[in-house]
Amino acid sequence: MRHFRTLLAHELRTALLSGNTWASAALFLALMGGIHFFALLECSRAPQPWTPVEATFRLFWLPLLCVLPLLTMRSFAEERRSGTLSALLTTPASTAAIVWAKFLSAWLTWAAFWCAFLLFPWLVDARLGTVGDQRLSDPATLFGGLCFVLVSGLLHVALGILCSCLTRSAALAALLTFICLLGLTAIGGAMESLPIESWTWLGWLREPAAHLRTFGHLQDFAGGILDSRPLVLYVTGMMLSLGLAVLAVEGQE
Amino acid sequence: MSDVAPQPEAAVAAERLTKRYGSLTAIEDLSFSVAPGEVVGFLGPNGAGKSTTMRILSGTMAGTSGRASIWGVSVALNPAEAKRHMAYMPENNPLPEDLRVEEYLRLRARLKDVEAGQVDARVNQVMEDCDLVRRASGRLIGQLSKGFRQRVGIADALLAQPKVVILDEPTIGLDPHQILGIRDLIRSLRGQMAVLISSHILHEVEQVCDKVVIINRGRLVAQGRTDDLRRELLPHAGFTIVTKASQAELTALCTAAEPAATVEAGVATDLGWSRYRVILPAQSPARETLATTLLGAGLPLREIAEERYGLEDIFLAATRRTPAEGRRS
Repeated sequence: MRHFRTLLAHELRTALLSGNTWASAALFLALMGGIHFFALLECSRAPQPWTPVEATFRLFWLPLLCVLPLLTMRSFAEERRSGTLSALLTTPASTAAIVWAKFLSAWLTWAAFWCAFLLFPWLVDARLGTVGDQRLSDPATLFGGLCFVLVSGLLHVALGILCSCLTRSAALAALLTFICLLGLTAIGGAMESLPIESWTWLGWLREPAAHLRTFGHLQDFAGGILDSRPLVLYVTGMMLSLGLAVLAVEGQE
Repeated sequence: MSDVAPQPEAAVAAERLTKRYGSLTAIEDLSFSVAPGEVVGFLGPNGAGKSTTMRILSGTMAGTSGRASIWGVSVALNPAEAKRHMAYMPENNPLPEDLRVEEYLRLRARLKDVEAGQVDARVNQVMEDCDLVRRASGRLIGQLSKGFRQRVGIADALLAQPKVVILDEPTIGLDPHQILGIRDLIRSLRGQMAVLISSHILHEVEQVCDKVVIINRGRLVAQGRTDDLRRELLPHAGFTIVTKASQAELTALCTAAEPAATVEAGVATDLGWSRYRVILPAQSPARETLATTLLGAGLPLREIAEERYGLEDIFLAATRRTPAEGRRS
């Protein structure tokens, strides 16, 4: 545990001083700022069935696919390429402590990005909002949406870490993460749009479909529904990915 | 009752270590040991399996079979405990470019279980020992010269005062001044910790090491003290003789002194002088009297010198051996 704390502090410090993190943060905030701006523009032109915050969160997959791979790609791939991972493994620190420290550092950075996004609705509300009208900042949706990206982020970041363990090339790690996240989000979206209920021969798909409906989870969280199933899905997915990452590091080194 | 753990017989022990990559065998049945406080040179041609062996001993790579132990602790069964007794500096000495030397050493000290109250003192001590204090402590590692990077690697290895230090090519890429500094540093470790060094600079190894282990194509071909190996692997003594005598005259005089002597064909140098090589058995008493015999016979003699066999000759002789001969020895 002492090694884990030391490694986590080192990873957080490295992330804070890394140009890659700041470039990713700039890209994230530019993307989210643009999305939020257009959502506000749409709402100002005609009444919409959703609030600007809700519309912004529905496009969470865009920063997920474009920014998260940039955050996790270097974690192991770069260290394996430069050989510093081998040097780290000569210390009494366990592989699991190294993997968990890198994971938690990336997840906290991802969480910090989303917390920084909260400034946009807050500023819009402070400048344009009226007393008693919460449509511009919509705290319930904000809180629910944030909870969703943080909980689903456990699995998404862990997948990024796993992909980074599999190669010495940071670019290839980013590409692998992109493909995995695209697959996960697209499968979730497809499950929701397919009329599975009416296809009797696809009955066996109902159960997994109920678990993988990513956008449904977002709606549930934003609507204040706390369902344990997505929690279990994301946490077990994270544990599985990190376990595989530990095996990958130990196997390759 | 004392709580000090008893000192094991071998600080490093490799017992029938084998590593295979598919059909390729990197090392096979490799056995050797390093006693506590001993400095041992680990030699072999490129691709002999030195780095593979060192990586298995350091716990960063698993062997296919055999047993590796550090200070009596199995590296495979109890890697964390084995790593507490050991420090390993890999061949290319990978270091994070974006950390300052002092920050890096502090981080490594904490990861190597140096007591929290001792971290500053140990970091300062190793920086002093490796001459890093004035010129490198506050600099980014990425901006350091090769020599200073090597010193940082060695400082890291000495941080936690391990029982065993494994250094893979510690002097590679260093200038002669830096090599002298590293040599003195390694010498100063004798008796305090067991050191296993691989190097291609055989002169360095001869100067620093108590014993050498030589491998070739993944197998042990020789191990022991250099004097013992010299006697075992080079059982003859060579003399260079520059004379005006013919090969027949010289052979007659030499065989009279030592019947087993042989004279290799001469090379003409200048004005009728020729250079010959005379080989005698290493134990022959004629070694002591050859010069007197030749002068006493009135041979026109300009030069006579006994060849000195260094570690390079031992290495060449050992790597020409078969592994079976190495095991028998």
